[in-house]
Amino acid sequence: MSKAGVVHPKPSMKSVLLRGSFIIMALYIALYVVYVVQQPRALGAGAIASLFNNTVPLALASAGQAIVVLSRGFDLSLAGVVSITNVVMAVYPLEGPGGALASLAICLAIGAVVGAVNGWLVAYLRIQAIAATLATMIVCQGVALLILDAPGGTVAEWVSYELTDRIFNFIPVSGLILGAVVCLWLLARKTDFGIALYAIGADEHAARLSGIPVLKVRFFAFVLAGMIYGLAGYMLSAQTATGSPTAGEPLLMLSFAAVALGGTSLSGGKGGLFASVMGAATLMLLQKVLFSSGVSSFYTGIFQGAVLIIAVMFSALLTRLGERKNK
Amino acid sequence: MTSRSQNTSYIAVPDKRGNAKVSRETISAVSVAVLCVVILLGSRFISPSLGSWSQVETVLTLGSFLVVLSFGQGLVILSGGLDLSLPALITLGGVLSTAWVGAGNPDALFLLPLVLVGCGLVGSFTAVGVVWLKVPPFIMSMATSIMVASATLGMTNGTTRGAAPELLTDLMKSQIAGVPASILLLLAFVFFGWVLQARSVFGRHVYAVGTNDQAARIAGIPVTLTQFLPYVISAVCAGFVGMMLVGYSNGATLRMGDNYLLPSIAAVVIGGSSILGGRGTFLGTVGGAILLTTLGTVISAIGLNFGLRTIIEGSIILIALLVLRDEFFERLRAFRRP
Amino acid sequence: MLISGACVPAISEGLELSVVRVGKSYGATVALEQADINLRAGEVHSLLGENGAGKSTLVRILAGAVVPDCGVMHLHGAPYRPMSITEARDQQVSTAFQELSLVPNLSVAQNLLLPRIPKSVFFISSAAETMRRASSMLARYDLERIDPAIEVSSLPLADRQRLEIVRALENAGRVLILDEPTASLAETDWLFGQIGSATDRGVAVLYISHRLAEVREICQRATVLRNGRTIATVSLKEASNDDIFEMMVGRRDDHVRKHASSALKDAAPRLSVKSLSNGVLVDASFNVRPGEILAVAALEGQGQRSLFRCLAGLEPAKSGSIEIDSREHSISSPRKALKAGSGIAYLPEERKTEGILAGLSAATNIVVPILSTISTARLVGQNAEAEAAGPEGAKVELSERYLSFAIGDLSGGNQQKALIARTLATGARTLLLFDPTRGVDVGTKQAIYSAIRAFAASGGSVLFYSSELPEIVQLADRCMVLYQGKIVETFEGSAIDEQGLVAAMIGHRATARLRAMQ
Repeated sequence: MSKAGVVHPKPSMKSVLLRGSFIIMALYIALYVVYVVQQPRALGAGAIASLFNNTVPLALASAGQAIVVLSRGFDLSLAGVVSITNVVMAVYPLEGPGGALASLAICLAIGAVVGAVNGWLVAYLRIQAIAATLATMIVCQGVALLILDAPGGTVAEWVSYELTDRIFNFIPVSGLILGAVVCLWLLARKTDFGIALYAIGADEHAARLSGIPVLKVRFFAFVLAGMIYGLAGYMLSAQTATGSPTAGEPLLMLSFAAVALGGTSLSGGKGGLFASVMGAATLMLLQKVLFSSGVSSFYTGIFQGAVLIIAVMFSALLTRLGERKNK
Repeated sequence: MTSRSQNTSYIAVPDKRGNAKVSRETISAVSVAVLCVVILLGSRFISPSLGSWSQVETVLTLGSFLVVLSFGQGLVILSGGLDLSLPALITLGGVLSTAWVGAGNPDALFLLPLVLVGCGLVGSFTAVGVVWLKVPPFIMSMATSIMVASATLGMTNGTTRGAAPELLTDLMKSQIAGVPASILLLLAFVFFGWVLQARSVFGRHVYAVGTNDQAARIAGIPVTLTQFLPYVISAVCAGFVGMMLVGYSNGATLRMGDNYLLPSIAAVVIGGSSILGGRGTFLGTVGGAILLTTLGTVISAIGLNFGLRTIIEGSIILIALLVLRDEFFERLRAFRRP
Repeated sequence: MLISGACVPAISEGLELSVVRVGKSYGATVALEQADINLRAGEVHSLLGENGAGKSTLVRILAGAVVPDCGVMHLHGAPYRPMSITEARDQQVSTAFQELSLVPNLSVAQNLLLPRIPKSVFFISSAAETMRRASSMLARYDLERIDPAIEVSSLPLADRQRLEIVRALENAGRVLILDEPTASLAETDWLFGQIGSATDRGVAVLYISHRLAEVREICQRATVLRNGRTIATVSLKEASNDDIFEMMVGRRDDHVRKHASSALKDAAPRLSVKSLSNGVLVDASFNVRPGEILAVAALEGQGQRSLFRCLAGLEPAKSGSIEIDSREHSISSPRKALKAGSGIAYLPEERKTEGILAGLSAATNIVVPILSTISTARLVGQNAEAEAAGPEGAKVELSERYLSFAIGDLSGGNQQKALIARTLATGARTLLLFDPTRGVDVGTKQAIYSAIRAFAASGGSVLFYSSELPEIVQLADRCMVLYQGKIVETFEGSAIDEQGLVAAMIGHRATARLRAMQ
């Protein structure tokens, strides 16, 4: 065996992981250019902030979903958590910055509790994720209805003004919060937990034999995702300023669409949170572009669906090509 | 050399699997059915007006929507997939039969089946994506759902018009020999569904493909066709549910299907099917659908609010899932063994 | 010369790991009945046994991946009962698994250091430190040429195997378990060098391999498992291959031909394969006549898989043609294979993943390919399946009462019987059987043999591959040997003997010729 001379191809882990986010970034920028051409005012700080405010709830929801999907799971409870946090924010408004902070803590705690139940059912009782989270989602919807049985209520003013505002009249607060979550994730990905998350998504058996505490990682993936849904519900409340017991439902399907659009494989282990956030942003931007192109808002869905199918096929094709190259 | 006599020790393990004949599917189907009866009878103690024959009729009529819908969903799940496009197809079926066919149309008898054919085509669109383009069922049927819903919205310009064709109102409202036609329809459908799933060659193939598509392919089963058809059947069922709803409420709305997606999956799961495919019976699903409907009507009759009702529904799904775990059955068997 | 494995030895000099009466069952399936083994420090100890003898279960128990139901284990005199792989590793027992426990989407370095990736600040792992440690680890085991930064999935299989071994070596302070470590290694020098330096450090090594020559080269003692039990522990210097073989199989005189060939010499070939190439397989041409049983003998990965999968319609052939009853057919799916001429039915290699339909009854499993013919108007009657499956099950001595059981609940042997019955039920006149008796007990083997013979006697043609040579000697009318994708030798009738086959299988073509001429 020669010690030198064997040179392996170098598709480093980073380039492979980034590939999904490159594609979605390119798609987003292309869409944005179209948008700006149609609506030159879109470059204004106000327009950007409002785009951010629209995008952030779905982007956060997709970020949470991405964590569970990476570990080869599914999480339907997203809709329930967002709904509960939204009605809690609307029914029990806590004023001032202190109140906002307390509300945030409550939202995160709600998400964590639901996530822990999911994690317990899926990791320790070995119930299929899609079935278990379906049940918890329905229970959560019921809880949301108990708290507020019809749309109404008002979110604390501080939250609905400050969190949708701009700092120095330029940087949108919601964008900062989203950025903070993405940055925290980039750090978390380098922890044992982050590494293990990718590992159990790719090959749970090998991960277990490598000494990774598979059950614990799966459990905390759900808890973490639940907390991010809580944050999504918090930001959604800031944006809508009112409560609805079904606030989370529209986000559910779109969150899967965003995750898939970002190139994260539904079979786990491949993709990332940032790409999913970009996927969400693309979906929201697509709506605006279609609207400004004069396409009736009724038909937006046809384009969304088509983009979704094409994106998933495209990323599957890339994966297949990548695998062939490695052989 | 040692022990030549030991070479049969592996065969000599006593066979303890005699009670495996009572399958988990049977247990769950029976227990769901028993639960329905108990709830209906039990509701009498809360209020004497409950648990009457007329309430049973109401449950069966309301339940028939879910039964038809979850037959399709169950078949797709059994084949190893999932169909999220059902709400959009219910709406499509409903809107087409009011706006396009409409009341007083002499050709309704021909046009209504055409509506179903249209729904079937939508189903085959989903199937093409899943079977040939290998898009995960979850994503593909979701994309179909978004596209169909949006097309329906555009077609109607956001408002529905027209009333139900008489054929459909007759189907849902008339009585034959004192029994509501809708209940007879339900019975006929359950028989038809049972035959297709449990007794037909196609049904067997769906079980085989849902259990292990690779093994099914090697065994010579037409896997592609077997994965394709459930989506078509499911779409046709959903379109038909749209028609039933139109006949029942004499009109369509653009959100008429929204509240049926989760119950369709829930009925299948409560009925003892595995969400991964290959396991479950249609009779179990029927039980699940009727149980969910029974609960819904009893809870709303008692006056519990919608929130509590939803929580109870969710908890029942959860309990069903916990009970249906393999470990639970293993433990049950271990308990009975001595 | 023989040390009985059943008695409990006193803790003697150098005894590192002792395992006494360990067993494990999964429901009704006994994976390991009663295993005893003693490993000495600085010794390389082999674990031998047929497929399904319980080797991998014992490995998993020692590795901490499976907790045994009964039995006692001691490590260096102290009780040893690991509840997880990490616990075993903490006690310096480490395993290189046969199926490789590397996570494909992590880097080489991360895989080597799992589950303890070095940290820089807080909980954040340090990429630089991870690389540094991994590089030095790779250098220590002479694998500097592997870049620690690349993703494991982009490495060739042989390098992944080496990494698996390196990780085990690194963590094995007391006991090192190597499960089929040479499965994808072309040569053993590197591995044996590493094993040598481990034993010099006083590590006890458990070495599992199906290659007896390799075992003889590196191991001092061997423990033989059969049917989930320890049969004996022998010193390899004193035991002959035949001794070991007898302990593994249980009978020495088993592999004598017992039947006359029923092949119709003058008939036109039923299956005629002409210069078939695909994957490893190169230019294979042969005929199978009606009534003939043709065997394929080969080491792992010599193209036999491609051959069978092409004929069964699971892989498209790159070139070449397949004729059935003198008419060319293109076989693009197993379904087409069944319908091609007089039909080809395939028994797949992996019973669990490619064969059984676990939740369905044994009867349904048997008749599933022919459901449309036993149905009336596409409907299957209540008892139609059992009635149709019964006679086919009887041909393989499958007890009738099992027909109504879910096949997943049956033992491996009965599952295999049902799958053979399935191929018979199709009515195809050519059977492709890939390792038809893998991991089944002796009684089941005999039932399967007689079913195959009866099928051939009725004019059917059989092409089968077996990993067990005695089976080929016993059953085949003719035997082709595949080596590096080519048919290097064909033996016929009484010329089929184990030594000749082995020589041809390992590529000693010339010697095999010589032997065949004698």
